Amino acid sequence: MIQSPILSRLNQDEFFGRDAELHDIVRQCAADDDSRGLVVMATPDGGASELLRQAYDQLFARRGEPVPIHFAFKRGDTIATDTARRFFQTALQQFIAYRRVNASICNSTLTFHDLSELALPSDYELITSLIEAFDREKSSEREFVDFCFSLPNRLSAEGRAVYPLIDCTPIGPLREGMVIGHRLLTELSRGAFPFVLAGLRRQTNDLIHGLDDGDWEATGMIHIDNLSENAARALLESLASRYEIDLNEPTRDLIVQQLNGSPLFITEFMRAARAMRTRLNSFLTCQQLYVNELLGGSIQRRFDRMLDAISPGGQTNKTLLRVLYESAMSETRKSSLWAWKKRLGLAPPEFDQLIDGLHVYELINSSGSFIEVNAESYIWMDYLRAHYRAEVAAEPRARVVATTLLESLKRAPETMTRKYRRDSAVGLREVLAKFNCQDVPASLFHYDRFAAAYKGEDASTINDGLDSEKDLIQLPQVIQTAACASYSATFDCDRERCVVAHAFEAAEYTSENEIVWLAAEIDSKLEATRELTQEWCDRLATFARESGFERFRTWLIAPEGFSKRAAKVLDERKAFGSSRRQVQMLAGRISQDKQVEKPKADEYEMTIPMGADSELIAAHAVEKIARRVNFRPEAVNQIKTALVEACINAAEHSLSPDRKIYQRFVLEGDKLVVTVASRGVVPAPLSRENGENAEPASGKSRRGWGLKLIKTLMDEVEFEHVDDGTQLRMTKYIR
Amino acid sequence: MRDSTQEITIHTRAVGDTAIIYASDYLNKLSGEKIERECQRQFDSGRRTLIINFRDTELINSIGVSILVGLIDAAEQATARLIFSDLNSNTANLFEMLGLTRHVSLAANEDEALARIAPPGDPAVSTA
Repeated sequence: MIQSPILSRLNQDEFFGRDAELHDIVRQCAADDDSRGLVVMATPDGGASELLRQAYDQLFARRGEPVPIHFAFKRGDTIATDTARRFFQTALQQFIAYRRVNASICNSTLTFHDLSELALPSDYELITSLIEAFDREKSSEREFVDFCFSLPNRLSAEGRAVYPLIDCTPIGPLREGMVIGHRLLTELSRGAFPFVLAGLRRQTNDLIHGLDDGDWEATGMIHIDNLSENAARALLESLASRYEIDLNEPTRDLIVQQLNGSPLFITEFMRAARAMRTRLNSFLTCQQLYVNELLGGSIQRRFDRMLDAISPGGQTNKTLLRVLYESAMSETRKSSLWAWKKRLGLAPPEFDQLIDGLHVYELINSSGSFIEVNAESYIWMDYLRAHYRAEVAAEPRARVVATTLLESLKRAPETMTRKYRRDSAVGLREVLAKFNCQDVPASLFHYDRFAAAYKGEDASTINDGLDSEKDLIQLPQVIQTAACASYSATFDCDRERCVVAHAFEAAEYTSENEIVWLAAEIDSKLEATRELTQEWCDRLATFARESGFERFRTWLIAPEGFSKRAAKVLDERKAFGSSRRQVQMLAGRISQDKQVEKPKADEYEMTIPMGADSELIAAHAVEKIARRVNFRPEAVNQIKTALVEACINAAEHSLSPDRKIYQRFVLEGDKLVVTVASRGVVPAPLSRENGENAEPASGKSRRGWGLKLIKTLMDEVEFEHVDDGTQLRMTKYIR
Repeated sequence: MRDSTQEITIHTRAVGDTAIIYASDYLNKLSGEKIERECQRQFDSGRRTLIINFRDTELINSIGVSILVGLIDAAEQATARLIFSDLNSNTANLFEMLGLTRHVSLAANEDEALARIAPPGDPAVSTA
């Protein structure tokens, strides 16, 4: 059954893409004392306010304890006593509404006398005493505010459990509002009840860490970004159906792209379509409505409000528009803080507040001494362009409308093309993010070898061939991926198709092992030609140089692979080249690696201290395990010896702080897998290339036999990186 | 196999001019060094034929092996003869694997080791 909205503005069945977050908030009400404060960090247009309202409605319908209390700050909340009074009245009203199971009380205009009358007999005494105290505390501003904000604590102290849901997103970057927000949170943090705080993601840290007590830490975080494409599409379709608006798939997708999946803008846009009775069945009607919204509708109001809230007003507004516009249109979209300060002509406190405000609203990215206009949002960029023309360049409004409409229409097919290209991309960032020192067949990175061996073969034959390949490449451990465009505004490429991946080879965190993989998906209907390949190698080399990447690896992906001459170029450049199919097979193989962690059939774990011959205890244990699965006596001894060696290695080389060796013995079908791990640093030569280089020649060398011995005694040996250490994984097959 | 807290004692016996040193069940750094010290003591006392008997040895680690390598060097420098005897198959395989057998003689048992050392017909070396 779908419940009627109480505070929420969307029906429950129209609230898309936030199921998990909603569930977390509802579940938090039953949190124990140790996990009380849940923080919702939201993008400015991500719909965090509606999320809290929806949570309130769900909790109201759910009944039982605790009593939900929803309070949303307002943009104009700058006078503490006014906010405190509103909080007190809202909380009391919602408390009584909940206790009386009468949702209409939440939204009614009621006096304190009304509230006393509406209180349940069992609550009457408490409510009237709180109202009397409210009147008494009015003499002192500080005491009055503290008293009002402590209402949840007072209710809780009287055995009425409450669950405050506080929406700080409307405060934005306003200092006065932030101070009031701090005061409310300070009071809440003193209570022994769970609560939720929602704020803009660039604001919440200040709200939390600005607390007077300073000892409250969020015990849970929920990140709210714009909606996924699927959720945004579902929201649009639902609203179109509810408002009886014509919508087709292309226009639906265009709106989603253009409004960046923002639930707030999508809802406003569809409401505008309903109000204007606009049929959204062509790009033209969509863009006409969009331009209307941009130059007089909800989009304009939203950005106007933001800029008004943070700008001192007057001429500064115009100057700000000019500076924002000119920065956005510059090649790098980046300017120095100093230049902004000079151009805006504001004194430090005002200037700092302005920059903070723009940053919190995510209109700019401010980092230290540079400011970059956020050009990723179509809506913000369109607003900026249109309003610069109208208000700064003083172009006639008709012309601004026409130009904006023309530009947005011309852009529509490009927007969709970009989306389709994004959808069809192989997902380089996702693939690279999975790189974690896996050994993979080298042919997956050499199209010429792959084509020679497998062209025309079916997937299972190719996989069998890949499984038996001896020439393996150890992937680096990728620690971060980003679009090349995020590094350089001048590097022209699709964000999804050109990726930077920072990595460490052999998962050794040393400068020597640091490497950057530059991967690009290039367009070519047939095998990529020599010229195209060369051009991309050059482009990425230049990009690497300009970005200051000392060691880098180029990896090009062409849908159909590379011609022989192109493969030669790749070889000369020591670059990798793969077809789309190779990348898909690689992705499949490195994803499978994660599945290795499947439930173990028979698994034993053991921790021993280093030294005092404790490796003998481990050797005894592994002997018992190996005998249970009928390893031959000779093999049992080999396993024991290898384990002893691994323990000695761990003790000798790891500089382990806890002086412990962690071991796991896993029986998997026809093999025993022994893992020996310890914390601490392992000398690079030991873990690199699985210790090959660490070994002395056999014969009369005095030390360093260990790894050679292990490799000889066991069937498979590999080093695996773990945080703060290395582990050795040894496998012996039952024969 | 002994408990790790147990004291390691290296037994030695003399047969004629030959010293037979008995390695413990676990040949590691500690027990290896004890053998090394005993060998050195024998060299210092002028003995030039040594047999290390591995009949009790179940497990050897690489540190123990490295000490044995050191012993082989020391024996060479002292122009002494060194024989390893009574190796179980695991230990023998391990020595083979690490190339030790290229530098030291192996004997199946003490008698065989003593027979190799003694001149033909010398009754002094017989343990029977």
